[in-house]
Amino acid sequence: MTSQARFVQPPRFATWLVNLFTVPQDDSIVGDLFEEFRNLASRSGVGFARRWYWRQAVKTAASLFTLGWLAAPWSTAAAVLGGFLLAGYVNGLPDKALSVATDRYLLYWSSHFQAYLWLLRGMLIGHIIASLFVGSMVALAAKGREMVATMTLALIFCAMAGIGCLWLVAKTGEIASLSGLLWYWADPLAIVVGGIIVRRRRSPMTAVGSA
Amino acid sequence: MAGRDYLGEFEHIIMLALLRLEDRAYGVTVRQEIELRTKREVSIGAVYATLDRLEKKGYVKSRRSDPTPERGGRSKRFFRVTAQGVTAVNQIQRALSSMSEGLGMIGSYS
Repeated sequence: MTSQARFVQPPRFATWLVNLFTVPQDDSIVGDLFEEFRNLASRSGVGFARRWYWRQAVKTAASLFTLGWLAAPWSTAAAVLGGFLLAGYVNGLPDKALSVATDRYLLYWSSHFQAYLWLLRGMLIGHIIASLFVGSMVALAAKGREMVATMTLALIFCAMAGIGCLWLVAKTGEIASLSGLLWYWADPLAIVVGGIIVRRRRSPMTAVGSA
Repeated sequence: MAGRDYLGEFEHIIMLALLRLEDRAYGVTVRQEIELRTKREVSIGAVYATLDRLEKKGYVKSRRSDPTPERGGRSKRFFRVTAQGVTAVNQIQRALSSMSEGLGMIGSYS
């Protein structure tokens, strides 16, 4: 092994990604990846080893995602369904708050349009906070499969938003409607982040610096 | 073989890799053995997902080694085939050879 290969570390973010899906306290998968990375780095170069590591990390995360589902399909599905219903309720709260505020201060908004825009932005941030909460709740319910449950819920919302936007584009012919997807996908992303936060608190191995 | 306890294609390949490697079978060696012999890239996650399934079926047992520095202080998980696993491999091997008997060279059908 060359001296450079001996000290080179695998991509931390890739290791963190794999650790999100492994069973807590089981370091054998990351250990295997680390061992092969070191061997590849000394034989084929660091760049080649890093590319191999990233490829393996993404495929491994996908395999462990499937394994997580197969290991406990009913409890995971229950957590996802609970999260779906909770999101339906919680995500409506910022909208309700906005409509109450606009009804009460209608005269004020008409002369302070800038303040009204800020309130709208606040509502979007409220949506993200609500999604973070939903993601955390789903992750708490799906112990050991936090990322499997939150990512499934996020994928469902992403698919719903995607289908909705495509339907709108097909109906109105306005391609610009697709730009709204970025906002719609912010909520699912927040759900996943909520899952990551709970997972990190439960398993210290998922800290990025632990690679 | 009863119910759905048969070996799938990848499970069969992994069982054969474990039998070949004997007491040297852990994630890295199993993955490399499969890549070497089947010429297809396999992810370590797919190997572990299958090994976990095989362990649940009772075909494989695992044990952990002590952490080693060349693995960044992480342990290895060694696998070995159980007697029940050997029986399952024998059954699938017999079924495959029985099905391919008399077919001659597979290449001649392509």
